Amino acid sequence: MNNIVIAGYKRTPFTLAKKGGFARVRPDDLVVAAIQGVLQQTGVDPAAIEDLILGCAFPEGEQGFNMARLAVMLAGLPLSIGGVTVNRFCGSSMQAIHQAAGAIAMGAGEAFICAGVESMTRIPMTGFNPMPNPRLVEQFPAAYVSMGETAENLARQYQIGRSEQEAFAWASQQKAVAARDAGSLAAEIVAVADVTEDGCIRGDTTLEALAQLTPAFSEKGSVTAGTSSPLTDGAAAVLVCSETFARSNGIEMLARVRSIAISGCAPEVMGIGPVLSSRKALQRAGLQMKDIDIIELNEAFASQSIACIRDLELDPARLNIDGGAIALGHPLGASGARITGKAAALLKRENKHFALATQCIGGGQGIATLLEAI
Amino acid sequence: MEIRRVAVIGAGVMGAGIAAHISNSGIPVVLLDIVDGGAASRSAIAEGALAKLLKQQPAAFMHPHNARLISTGNIEDNLGLLAECDWIIEAVVERLDVKQSLYSSIDRVRKPGAILSSNTSTIPLQDLIAGLPTSLAQNFLITHFFNPPRYMRLLELVSGEETRTEVVSAVRDFADRALGKGVVQCRDTPGFIANRIGIYWIQVAVTEAMALGLTVEEADAVVGRPMGIPKTGVFGLSDLVGIDLLPHLLKSMLRTLPENDSLRGCAEVPELIQRMIAAGDTGRKGKGGFYRLNRAGGGKLKESIDLESGEYRPTREAQLASLSAARSGGLSALLAHPDKGGEYARRVLLRVLSYAAGLVPEIAEDIPAVDEAMRLGYAWKYGPFELIDRIGADWLIEQLERAGTPLPTLLQSVRRRSFYRTVDGILQYLTGEGQYRELMRPEGVLLLVDIKRRSKPLAGNGSASLWDIGDGVLCLEFHTKMNALDPDILAMIGKAIEIIPQRYKALVIYNEGSNFSAGANLGLLLFMANIAAWNQIEEKVAEGQQIYRAMKYAPFPVVGAPAGMALGGSCECLLHCDAVQAHSETYMGLVEVAVGVIPAWGGCKELLQRWVLNRLRPGGPMPPIVKCFETIATATVSKSAAEAREYLFLRPDDGITMNRDRLLTDAKARALALSEDYQPPEFNEMHLPGATAHLALQMAVKGFRLAGKASAHDETVSLALSSVLSGGDCDITDALGENDLLTLERESFMQLVRMPLTLDRLEQMLETGKPLRN
Repeated sequence: MNNIVIAGYKRTPFTLAKKGGFARVRPDDLVVAAIQGVLQQTGVDPAAIEDLILGCAFPEGEQGFNMARLAVMLAGLPLSIGGVTVNRFCGSSMQAIHQAAGAIAMGAGEAFICAGVESMTRIPMTGFNPMPNPRLVEQFPAAYVSMGETAENLARQYQIGRSEQEAFAWASQQKAVAARDAGSLAAEIVAVADVTEDGCIRGDTTLEALAQLTPAFSEKGSVTAGTSSPLTDGAAAVLVCSETFARSNGIEMLARVRSIAISGCAPEVMGIGPVLSSRKALQRAGLQMKDIDIIELNEAFASQSIACIRDLELDPARLNIDGGAIALGHPLGASGARITGKAAALLKRENKHFALATQCIGGGQGIATLLEAI
Repeated sequence: MEIRRVAVIGAGVMGAGIAAHISNSGIPVVLLDIVDGGAASRSAIAEGALAKLLKQQPAAFMHPHNARLISTGNIEDNLGLLAECDWIIEAVVERLDVKQSLYSSIDRVRKPGAILSSNTSTIPLQDLIAGLPTSLAQNFLITHFFNPPRYMRLLELVSGEETRTEVVSAVRDFADRALGKGVVQCRDTPGFIANRIGIYWIQVAVTEAMALGLTVEEADAVVGRPMGIPKTGVFGLSDLVGIDLLPHLLKSMLRTLPENDSLRGCAEVPELIQRMIAAGDTGRKGKGGFYRLNRAGGGKLKESIDLESGEYRPTREAQLASLSAARSGGLSALLAHPDKGGEYARRVLLRVLSYAAGLVPEIAEDIPAVDEAMRLGYAWKYGPFELIDRIGADWLIEQLERAGTPLPTLLQSVRRRSFYRTVDGILQYLTGEGQYRELMRPEGVLLLVDIKRRSKPLAGNGSASLWDIGDGVLCLEFHTKMNALDPDILAMIGKAIEIIPQRYKALVIYNEGSNFSAGANLGLLLFMANIAAWNQIEEKVAEGQQIYRAMKYAPFPVVGAPAGMALGGSCECLLHCDAVQAHSETYMGLVEVAVGVIPAWGGCKELLQRWVLNRLRPGGPMPPIVKCFETIATATVSKSAAEAREYLFLRPDDGITMNRDRLLTDAKARALALSEDYQPPEFNEMHLPGATAHLALQMAVKGFRLAGKASAHDETVSLALSSVLSGGDCDITDALGENDLLTLERESFMQLVRMPLTLDRLEQMLETGKPLRN
């Protein structure tokens, strides 16, 4: 089996849906910026790329047709490159990386661009035409459960109080501000037009201000806009290739993919998804959680993150050290590529051995990628 | 001389409001103010004013997009922009030197023939033009807008001796047609017409209330409704305009009023008002006013000031025998009553009406100008001369003579007569020479009130009438309380459908009430529900559906012409018209959910079809359903006709008329145009997704309920609505016709109307006029 490496990672700034700098930017244009960023960063010969695998959670409207193929053309890449759009909701672009890894492992290609994008401004979160199956809902009332409700369910089930969620959200903001101020975010960002910086981070928020917010999803609940990831526009891309390819082309490698996993869980507690998928990935790698130095856990909600931290006994000091999605934003289809690329970059920057990137997925799934240093 | 681009200089409350309203007519506006040296942008003042306009409530813009028509700047760097403008309106500080120096600068850049007008309310025109070049004076006039410029219909226009007649007619025409103003020509006298009489009225009403020991509630109840004056009366009005404004107005009037003017005898600012201003109790914009909402302790307690002690106490409804008498016997009963309310009414009316009668022809050429100014500028239902006719000129003369008050000449000439009379269906007014002259409407104005004066209805009942408005067009007029729709109105629509094809060409649905219609008669519905007359209710629902449908497919065009509120069943009526010609101030909405039911006279069906056929919506089967659902489930009411287009209550080619008085003319013209080769519309069958759409909406509603944004009955009513808009149990491959949707509407309506929570909503709406969220 061929070794698979992450050999480049770039993303656009993440900006608030509707209010942010990308409100008037088409998602296909946005993702092209991230793709070109990675091409430039790695210097990879575009002609050597097998496929563009593009994650997107609501592939309709401007994200419709086969956006991946269209992005190849928009980016001015050789027409010999393929393009496939994949959807695993929030796990879409991590899935893109997994698909590339699988293909490389079996010798079905040497280099892949794995990207993700979501314009939550221009394509609403349930799509333009939500048409659920009534028969399914009779059998499975939570099949289409709203994400906010799942966050409340976990808060209740794990008895995670509001202030604990707020402390977690505040810490995420603080870490993001520190990373931004240290230039760590700029290192991964490609500017798009005049948007050069993240737009979601609320560095000035305080625990007092967070405590004032009214619950966003349930009148009697504990989850607020402040303890949820914001609706976000953004794109991210990584170069996934075989270790041999990277070495022979002189491309700097960030990390090796050690194992991957997918798992399912009850949709009404979808936020707990990372627990099982992370355990599967650890087991496949023959590692234990204490071996993991860098953890990128996608913060869909604070309650969901805390539940995973408790079950997986994660060390907060190793978690989302440059801030998480509550602060940075969560453009659904783009987040998987961001946290995987980020985990790989951090592994190198921090000079550590193992990293884990994991996410929860609406409908009740978890996805995980375990990386090791080169 | 056409006005295509306008400039407003001075971005204060008035200037900005004028600019906004000009943009409402689709005309680009340049808005300039002085340079703000301390700000990052030199045009910060005008820019700030524009930003503020967008947030203003009630909205200054009829549609937020109109703001794009306004370009901001400052008078130092951007005066050159005036070179493009046909009309330049000055609305700067009321200082002659400032205005005159500005005029000189403007004169250097304005294009030849460009009109300059001042929005002054205190400086005489002759002072403003003193020393100006003749070329400017010829193009100069005063255009006095009222605040807020979008909503107050009066525009007082003062021209000088040198002003060219084309200039006057160009401004008059633009203000009338494009801005919808009632233009009243005034003489160059202090306060022009409305404020001259209005300020005197306020001063008299305030001081007499204090002298007679009335409470503010009593005073407002007496000088308000019984006299056809808004229920804010005088104290409520003062709170609204700002109490601190009163001394300023008085002062500026005193500076220029004639020596013998009656205001001079009563112009002292009462001590209480001085104290209130000093304490910051300046009305609604201040801490409190004559009334205030006391929020201490988290509650909301309405309080009134005690005119003697100056202390606040809980507001209590005025209880006067004279007021009860007025409720049954009208203004005359009030004036005849011996209690202090009657005495107060007499004192105020006698003084104000004789004052007004003494001002013609000093302030205006004729009495209709004065009446119009008070109606449009102070929202009086009747001007002073109309009021005199209502109480009887002879009664007034007798009272004044008994009090020893000298009679103004005009009053002497009206003895044993009236100021207005109707001869052969023609309305006439009394001139200063003691002759009657026909009241001429501006060219092109057609009013139903005039038609009614000179003809009899072709058909009519207690609720509606059919009038022949000429050229083969009939007008259906509602005339119930609030123009509520009832079976008699529906019957009259049926009558129109019956007689028009025989001899006529088209139908216009129009009335001259304050509101087109508040919706269906809820009292009737509640009554039938209380006696469990379910079958009859269902029959009435079906009857409304059938009548509206028959109207839609009748072999002649129907044009709806709403102004003011057009809610519920009347909005459904308009949705079935071939075209709508709406007054710009039309507030449309399907508000049935507020009383726990859904639109069931074809309103869901019509709005849904519009959304389905809309080319600009996102694709797929759900967006039209979602749009419709949001609009109806939240009882959305448009805040203007322009906004009604957003909700598809109006179609893109439905017309909007800015001037209320020109609405019938425009509607009739539209009806006649449609009557050429008229073909009734066709209904496009619809493919709706059925249960899956219902489920999608149900999930959304559940989320709102969970988040505390919807009540239990909100959820029930929303789901009934959603099942109609989803197409019921249909599959997306089914083609649904009109009957299928009407059946769904009717079934959902009947299911809801039987629910106790719906009846609770109906009851509260009828009792309080406010919706119940149960």
